[in-house]
Amino acid sequence: MAVVFDGVAYGLQLGLLAVGLTMIYGLGGVLNLAHGQFAVLAAIAIAVLSDRLPTPAALVAGLAIAALAALATDATIMRAVYRLDGEARVLLSLLLTIGLAFVIDGLLIYNYPFTQLKLSVPGPAVDILGVPMRRGSLAASALALSALALLIVFLRYTRRGRAVRSVIQDEEGAQLCGIDPARVRTAVFALSGALAGLAAVAEGLTSSVSATDGTELTILALIVTVVGGLGSVAGALLAGLLLGLVYTMSQVYIGTYVTLVILLLTAMVTILIRPAGLLGRGV
Amino acid sequence: MSEAPLPVDADDAAADTTRRARDSVWWAYFPVMVTAVVLAGVPLVIGDSRFFMGLAVLGLAYAGYGVGFNIIFGNTNQLFLCLGALAGVGAYGSSILGSEMDLPMLVTIPLSVAGAALLGAVFSWVSVRRRLDVIFVGIITLTFSLMFINLLLGQRDLTGGETGLVILYDAGVVGRRGTASFYVFLAVLVAFLAAHRWIQRSHIGWAFRALRDDELAAELAGIDVARYKVVGGIVGSAMVGLIGALYAHYEGFISPTTFELGNVDVPVLVMVAFGGIGSLLAPVIGSAVFTVVDEVLRPFSQLRVAVYGVILLTLFLGFRRGLIPAATDLLRRVTRRR
Repeated sequence: MAVVFDGVAYGLQLGLLAVGLTMIYGLGGVLNLAHGQFAVLAAIAIAVLSDRLPTPAALVAGLAIAALAALATDATIMRAVYRLDGEARVLLSLLLTIGLAFVIDGLLIYNYPFTQLKLSVPGPAVDILGVPMRRGSLAASALALSALALLIVFLRYTRRGRAVRSVIQDEEGAQLCGIDPARVRTAVFALSGALAGLAAVAEGLTSSVSATDGTELTILALIVTVVGGLGSVAGALLAGLLLGLVYTMSQVYIGTYVTLVILLLTAMVTILIRPAGLLGRGV
Repeated sequence: MSEAPLPVDADDAAADTTRRARDSVWWAYFPVMVTAVVLAGVPLVIGDSRFFMGLAVLGLAYAGYGVGFNIIFGNTNQLFLCLGALAGVGAYGSSILGSEMDLPMLVTIPLSVAGAALLGAVFSWVSVRRRLDVIFVGIITLTFSLMFINLLLGQRDLTGGETGLVILYDAGVVGRRGTASFYVFLAVLVAFLAAHRWIQRSHIGWAFRALRDDELAAELAGIDVARYKVVGGIVGSAMVGLIGALYAHYEGFISPTTFELGNVDVPVLVMVAFGGIGSLLAPVIGSAVFTVVDEVLRPFSQLRVAVYGVILLTLFLGFRRGLIPAATDLLRRVTRRR
């Protein structure tokens, strides 16, 4: 039981990490390989600012910085990407965001080599259905869950959210209904930056985030995104939960180093069985 | 669909002869020969310095990976992000076979290259079967790379884990540091380039071009797309595996870091994309440029990565399709105006 809970907690974090990426792909058909770097950027910003500001203010500022970085990316290098379409677009976005990831990684590792984001929630473990859970882990899960729930409510029930979904489904059709896809894209890009930052906060609540973690986070987000189905928010959540459970279970029952192999194997098999992803639209 | 009107040449006869000249074997292999001659001169310029020869060999190895990647991705549109793993199969395969079974290098290298080729065939076959998009092939192979590295780390008894593996037995010319090994790698690279050109000129190249432009149309025209994609996967993977195996014997030491995504796949993708994906010489030009850039940036220590990133951004914003296509376009425009 404890394993399942841990798996769910980790899975929610993975889902949170992946939603931003999946939405950008769904909207613009671009892959952002600097997603994990945005997360790390937020984490380092929060860690640095919390020395001077009260923690809540630092959190908000950190998320805002990640969102601004994403916004700046959309407004500058992504412009060239949007002018292309199809596979050329994906490829250029991939190459450019690799470059961006290098820039962010390089600057952060150079300036803050030893900074870590570690948010501890003091207090004893809480009993949930007889399973003692660490407070940090609970807070991270609550954070991920509420962020994802808010996102889904936003996408389903608000006018703006519907506009986003309409662009994901059919860009031309949305345009005919008076929606400006470029503006929606920009907004979602900024949102994805903030979501990446939130994922970093969740990670900081359970373990720690440092400047060198960007690439690993990007790859995890990418795998979860693809397993869930590119462009599907609920899919990202589901895939996150699946992979999180697989990860913690194999960690407990099988052993440490095989765990990652099993996680990756699961991802590979899922992609091969359902190339469109768990909840992706048909190919 | 709008089609540009075909240019009508005033002087048909002249155009005919130039076309015939271009079709000739000599002209087709001309770039390969020039590359061979120019690169063969490198040791004369930089001398027999151990350090610079090491860099040059590394550059050749990357160019070799690049040719393999160019055949797989540039010709058959399969984004293999497991180059490091394929090279690792070649490297670890040949050295483990050599140390555990006491086989000579001339047996272990072909065996491990066959292993890499088989792996490439499986990836191609699976992705054709499952009709995976470019990005999905990329993710599947990327996942495999991560798995491979983790297996290397885990199978300590065989691979030495993260401490790596020292290749104990004598590797002959390949292992002799300096000019000798440089020429071995150069010979392999030139052979790769010639093979690539040969493929481009054969019926395989014809099928590659058709399926790269439009897979469905190629299929309808009677091209066995699946078969040719698998061929591309096999040839390219074998090349990457061979370079990996040679590099292991040259260096005398391999570790999982050597074949990490960030140390093989990312640089190779960047180099080939910089040169122009699909162009014959893209890997050579890309590798030469980035080997020099990497050296120039060394004093920047950690900031190097950031500077690298800025260079990448500028390059790809400037030459979207790569340097070679941009240059040939320019050349064509200049010559036409005359």
